[in-house]
Amino acid sequence: MNRRHFIGQGTAALGLLAGLPALASGRAVNLQSAEIVVVGAGYGGATAAKYLRLLSGNTARVTLIEPNPVFISCPLSNLVVGGSRTLDALTQSYDTLHTNHGITLVRDTVTKIDPDKRTVFLLGSGKTLAYDKLLLSPGISLMMDSIEGLAQANDAGVTLQAWKAGPETIALHKQLAAMQDGGVFAITIPEQPYRCPPGPYERACQVADYFKKNKPKSKVLIFDANQDVVSKPGLFKKAWSELYPGIIEYRPSHTVMGVDPKTRTLKFDIQQDVRADVLNVLPPMRAGALVVNAGLANSNKRWAQVHYLNFESTVAKDIHVIGDSVQNAAFMPKSAHMANQHAKVAAAAIVAELNNWEVNPNPVLNNTCYSFVDATQVVHVASVHQYVAAEKTYKTVAGSGGVSPSPSTLEGEYAWGWARNIWADSLA
Amino acid sequence: MGIFNRCLTLALCIGACVFGMNDSVCAQTQDAALLYQRGLAASCANCHGTDGKGITNAGMPLISQLTPQEMLAQLLAYKTGALAGTIMPQLAKGYTDEQLQSIANYLGKK
Repeated sequence: MNRRHFIGQGTAALGLLAGLPALASGRAVNLQSAEIVVVGAGYGGATAAKYLRLLSGNTARVTLIEPNPVFISCPLSNLVVGGSRTLDALTQSYDTLHTNHGITLVRDTVTKIDPDKRTVFLLGSGKTLAYDKLLLSPGISLMMDSIEGLAQANDAGVTLQAWKAGPETIALHKQLAAMQDGGVFAITIPEQPYRCPPGPYERACQVADYFKKNKPKSKVLIFDANQDVVSKPGLFKKAWSELYPGIIEYRPSHTVMGVDPKTRTLKFDIQQDVRADVLNVLPPMRAGALVVNAGLANSNKRWAQVHYLNFESTVAKDIHVIGDSVQNAAFMPKSAHMANQHAKVAAAAIVAELNNWEVNPNPVLNNTCYSFVDATQVVHVASVHQYVAAEKTYKTVAGSGGVSPSPSTLEGEYAWGWARNIWADSLA
Repeated sequence: MGIFNRCLTLALCIGACVFGMNDSVCAQTQDAALLYQRGLAASCANCHGTDGKGITNAGMPLISQLTPQEMLAQLLAYKTGALAGTIMPQLAKGYTDEQLQSIANYLGKK
């Protein structure tokens, strides 16, 4: 018998042999009867839904709720900002999750969770949906109120974030295209942790690449609330000095406090005000609104603390949180790759729990992040995170991980290979 | 004591049940061990495809034609530095030899 099939086919009988697991509701369920609801179909949620099916031998009942009609990748979307790619190249259908894996897809937005009744409320239909296991992967929310005038600047169309790939990504490129040569693009970076640590620095590269080719008198100013570049610092600084001399200027320890939409001016805590033509203000971030509003953001009111063996919330039984919303272990980035890895550990743990098996005591996660320094050359950072039972957390393995020695087009090909494979691994 | 801890190693769990287990516990232990193994191998899938079935001509080296022995040999060579690469030498160093063996056994061509 094929072992891969055996996993699923054996589970029904074995669950009964082991006795049914009782969830917090007191309702006895097994893998086949439990209603598993996944909220958010990004790199985390889509992967979790798919792997809940795969790891259960396609027996688990999985509903995936997502408001967007299609999947748009945040990774690689800086290429759209810089104009070397279109958003279509980063867009995938959700349909395969249903046709290939039998997942029930619901296009709607969850706005409330009732952990006592074990239901979620769907804003669009006005209905409630019952769950036995709830897995949340709502990404991040932007703390617009933390920067004075930012919400108004956004409303006026003066500032954009484009930190969730979609229409804003295209709009930001249009602002750059409309800017006169000799203009200034300013990007501001919040203190970490935030989604995609290398993302702002990669974006600076992409905008600079666009300026170099199309508007060579223009400048890119990077205002970083951190004391130094937080990801691949040597590689990015080298790329800036060698590829974009006189175009990119990096200013660390600059915390933006306010934005004046009328004058397009950034106000800092200490330094002088700076005016720019195109403003990309990235405010501090926290867990997705659903996680925050449900009271699950119990780490500094920003991120969800979870038990790292199964990614269950530390304050809500049978509610699991994965991806960028999680208070990560040390050196664990908020990345698409990591969200996909969280998803698999969480999915395997839920399958184990519903079978009344012990959850894998030794999970391992890895991370890979490719950054384009121009349209084709790429640098990477990689890491491996082993669970350490004695400390109940993940720790990077000494001697493992690292970065590229230098940018290369070979890694540019790998970056696209990574994208096509992770899209398939998450969605197809 | 948990199911997995009754096994001496993952390979033992999958290959044969530990002496003295009754049939139901034995079968359950095997299933749980296979779940753990599949979860471990899934950490490779982001780049190399679900169950090691990567997308052809997508720009990423394919691993689906490697036997378990060939795959393990490559992984260990990456780990020791005998084989050069971009990311794989850095990632292989983060896994134990037993984990690499388990991954190769699962993803290798049967």
